[in-house]
Amino acid sequence: MSIAFKPEETFRGDYSYRNSDAAILRFPFPFPEDKYMYSVNIEPHVRSGPSDVFIRPFDVDEHYIAECRDRAITLERDPGRCQVLPHMMLAQWDTLELLMENLSADYPEHFSLTKEGDDFGSRWTWTNRPLGIEQSFIFGDAATLPCEPFEYITRQAQGDFAICDQRDDNLYMDAGMVTSQADWSLEFDVGMSFMEWHGPVPLAHQTGVFERALKYLLMLRLGQPVRRLNWTMTINPRLDTSPESFPEWGTDRASVTPDNAGSKVHLRVELQTLWRLPRSNAILFPIRCYLASLDDLARVPKWGARLHRVLSSLPPQLVEYKGLTRYLPAALAWLSRHDDGAELPIGTEAGVDTLT
Amino acid sequence: MLHSDIKSRPTYRALEPDLAAAGHLLVIEAATLQPGGLAGLADAFAPVVANLHTWLVGEALAAPGLGKPWHLPAVADVVDALACATRGYGIGDRLYVQGTEPFLWSVATAAAIVGFGPGQLQLCHAGSLQRRVWCTHCHGVTEQVTTNVVPCAGCGRHLLVRDHFSRRLGAFMGVMVDAEAPGEIPAIEEVFA
Repeated sequence: MSIAFKPEETFRGDYSYRNSDAAILRFPFPFPEDKYMYSVNIEPHVRSGPSDVFIRPFDVDEHYIAECRDRAITLERDPGRCQVLPHMMLAQWDTLELLMENLSADYPEHFSLTKEGDDFGSRWTWTNRPLGIEQSFIFGDAATLPCEPFEYITRQAQGDFAICDQRDDNLYMDAGMVTSQADWSLEFDVGMSFMEWHGPVPLAHQTGVFERALKYLLMLRLGQPVRRLNWTMTINPRLDTSPESFPEWGTDRASVTPDNAGSKVHLRVELQTLWRLPRSNAILFPIRCYLASLDDLARVPKWGARLHRVLSSLPPQLVEYKGLTRYLPAALAWLSRHDDGAELPIGTEAGVDTLT
Repeated sequence: MLHSDIKSRPTYRALEPDLAAAGHLLVIEAATLQPGGLAGLADAFAPVVANLHTWLVGEALAAPGLGKPWHLPAVADVVDALACATRGYGIGDRLYVQGTEPFLWSVATAAAIVGFGPGQLQLCHAGSLQRRVWCTHCHGVTEQVTTNVVPCAGCGRHLLVRDHFSRRLGAFMGVMVDAEAPGEIPAIEEVFA
């Protein structure tokens, strides 16, 4: 399948990022009901679902080239956004193999991988046409790549990536490529256990969500990845909403009015998938980020109305934790114009084929 | 303030020697000792005193019943001593640390480097609740923080001191308190005295 990339769009400065109509229709809208609360919403990551983004295990879309460029800009400014603890080299190669194999199989027009063998020591050739990269290297020999394997392949992928090492019946975040995060710091969190890095999340610990999720993930099997959606809101289509750069984007939250909320306020949805890695027994945790403005979402009548209801009934602790406090009233005022109060069908599907 | 809903916040408990262990190293921040504190520790560690080494950091107090204590001037000397310990520590040894949180985690971090696993380590909080604060913006560290909001020693921004804690850094997270509305700084109060 051919993708019409938009290489010039930006996620900072003039924020020229826009979704095509097709991108809006395939947006992974996360709210099946009018209310939201944390749950262990993990399901098998199969090649189907209510949105096209689920059809391929590693979704590539029209924003691919621009997102890779934005990542390179962030890494240039702050190389610490990619960190790998020394014992994670095997997991780095596992990640490179998983991404190269899936991308080349699912997008043969854009990526190809030629292997002289499957094992360490084999010569591999990787071609990434959208980014104009051709690289021949020895699988298992980091010196034959321009940088370490995890950084190499995740610079060529959309979304953030963490690798969790499994030991002592726990998961430890021992590697990450994190340039489009919803306000968490890899530098602070690297090396933390599962409960520690989820420490600040309100309400969910008390209901046992994390104990159950951890128990489930420790049993994750090779070849049977799982997924969940998570979400927050972001002002302007900005990928780098890190705590490191909070002084740059914090004031954006004070810039929202009921008139500009439609273009300023974005729903940020993370498609989080979890993959057992074959050699290291670690878990790869890709966090693929999708952004849509309220303007975009309201063009699907069901989504505009539902988002209004979810945000109106959000527990105050979640409003605070997700950083919505300052601009939520303006966003709700804008969204209320798109909610007639009529009952909405359960489910996340758009329910339309064309946008209004 | 020693308990928090935030699960990364460590919890501490009174030191209790592991009777099955081979060797015992007890590291105490002297300035945090209450009257009778050393006697209490001597009682607790009496069953293992034959294999006990005590390091007293700061004031050179007499420590009857705790073996022949070694006096070190500052926590930096503990870190150095652990880093170049001539006697190797093994899996059967236990490390017990008592003091303020920055002290505990300076020692814990140095001990981890020479091979002490989490199961070999006991930490007991004593003395001030002061915190080491790590700035999420410049990654600088501000020591001896006792207030809810503190100017960063690295970049000068006013940081809100959170309960989120990194064992690797031995520090609490600090986040610019007026990033959304520059100049809007809440009343600064002493909360970690």
